Amino acid sequence: MSGTLPGDGWIVAQDLVKTFNGSVHAVRGVSFEVRPGEIYGFLGPNGAGKTTTVAMLTAGLEATSGTGLVDGLDVRREPSRVKRRIGVVFQESTADGDLTGRENLELAAALYSVPRSELRARVDGLLERMQIGEAADRLAKTYSGGMRRRLELAAGIVHAPRILFLDEPTLGLDPQGRAGFWKYVLELRRDHAMTVFVTTHYLDEADDMCDRIAIIDHGTIVATGTPGELKDRLGGDIVTVRPTSPAPTLGPVLGAVPGVTSVGQQDGAYRLKCANGETLVPAIVAACVGAGVGLQGVSLKRPSLDEVFLEFTGREFREDEGPTATDRAVMVGRVRERFRGRR
Amino acid sequence: MIRETIALTKRELLRLARNPQAIATSLLLPILYLLLFGQGFNLGNLAGRGLPPGALTALLIGAPTYFSYFAAGMVGFVAVTATLFIGANVIFDKLFGILKRISSTPASAASIFGARLIAGSIQPIGLAFLVLGLSIALGHLGLSGLDVTASVGPVGALEIVLAVVILSVMFASLFLAIGFSIEQPQTYFAIVNAINLPVLLTSAALYPWGTMPAWLQNVASYNPVTLAVEVIRLNLFAAAPSYYAYSAGVYLLGLLGWAVAMNLIATVLARRALGPRH
Repeated sequence: MSGTLPGDGWIVAQDLVKTFNGSVHAVRGVSFEVRPGEIYGFLGPNGAGKTTTVAMLTAGLEATSGTGLVDGLDVRREPSRVKRRIGVVFQESTADGDLTGRENLELAAALYSVPRSELRARVDGLLERMQIGEAADRLAKTYSGGMRRRLELAAGIVHAPRILFLDEPTLGLDPQGRAGFWKYVLELRRDHAMTVFVTTHYLDEADDMCDRIAIIDHGTIVATGTPGELKDRLGGDIVTVRPTSPAPTLGPVLGAVPGVTSVGQQDGAYRLKCANGETLVPAIVAACVGAGVGLQGVSLKRPSLDEVFLEFTGREFREDEGPTATDRAVMVGRVRERFRGRR
Repeated sequence: MIRETIALTKRELLRLARNPQAIATSLLLPILYLLLFGQGFNLGNLAGRGLPPGALTALLIGAPTYFSYFAAGMVGFVAVTATLFIGANVIFDKLFGILKRISSTPASAASIFGARLIAGSIQPIGLAFLVLGLSIALGHLGLSGLDVTASVGPVGALEIVLAVVILSVMFASLFLAIGFSIEQPQTYFAIVNAINLPVLLTSAALYPWGTMPAWLQNVASYNPVTLAVEVIRLNLFAAAPSYYAYSAGVYLLGLLGWAVAMNLIATVLARRALGPRH
């Protein structure tokens, strides 16, 4: 990253730090680069610092230190130019329930200075694409969760930004709603080469949708790479061999199969790690037959991000572990405010 | 900037129009005051029971009846009570994430604040003229009503309009300043209650000037509600000018000073609330 700064469509974080009230360390120095047209996933449990990072990169929160560059612009120095070039979809619902879907989009279009001559076609097109056309003139508070999310997405892209930030965009949606939402995001990326930065704590979502992933935990990035690379770092595939009856002598036999890097035992089954499980399965089966051991079954598993998370953080992926750093900071602020009010 | 302000003002007005309960509630208060308090609290009856002629007009510094005096005061009263909700709306918009969305767009803090100020001032201005109209109408229905004893020319009418507009903008700014600085609705309403009553009760909106102790008269002369109400009374009542120290223009200037100061404070607080968090 020496020489000229990355420009169009890039998102660059250089050692971003956010500390609330001098003591709550929400983000402890994260650095990464998102390339144009890429879907980059920020994966981590609640409270890991995902939303805080998004807020710093979208000019909603001032970083304690470090630099955020978005589309070639320094977020701290040129917040309004950055805002003009990006779209943001927040994790909470921010659509105006007292306005119709169409009015919500028209307002967003005016605030992003979409040319008046294009406004109607743009809004109609988005309503159609997001399948809220029929409900366009109903108040947004009557929409279902999935429709509201699609409306939020439409409001975030009404000005056709090069870069889109999605903060836990599918939180609380059912699988169908999540699939529907991602369908539109993938279409946008395909049609407009949009760079997408998405935070999520759904492992499967990160695995399926993201080109590259950063795993963040306690405000620090612990691993980055494509989902495949991250899983490869675990040492390859896992082949599970389940004998018909206990076979204590099978372990050394399996360990001797060329390509198998380790053998473990779990509930009477053998877990073998190997670089390329698919091509090794015949040899493994042959070794069992040669040793006179009958097989109940053999299964092959590519390691999941669950295991990746376990590997890099040393913990199971935790869903809810008390308040996030942001929540804690807000709470501290509220307590202070109440205290001030009483004096 | 202008387009953003218009779009945001339209949003505020649409929301207001879609909330008929809020409109009904804001209408109810002045109507009850005019129909019940104004009718029941009739100092004219006291005059009939032994006050020397002219004494009541002196107590009411030029107004022919207490209702007339009080109706002009109610114009100031509604400017305070009807601007309350716009500060509360800011807090609800924060809680529902709507303000977060708006501030994530390139819309400037000035247009976000300006739109709320415009939309928030429209209702009290409308209510103020409704109070004046209704008060005059009541007099023609056999009830106590507003008795306009001066002939109101175009300059007088303009002065009344200006007083109403400036007072509404001033209180809209005050409540927006509080709304942008507070996070919780209950804190907002506690603060607003702590401001509202003292402001109204240290003004000359309701009490006959002549019955107020000198110290209260002193406090009241600087109160923005008093300043606006003085402009209105000076223009509506022929006998009023002889009781007032200054002309309507001077009171208007004082009121404008209040409005400008309050607006500056509110702008600073709104800008801080709408900029990046720290």
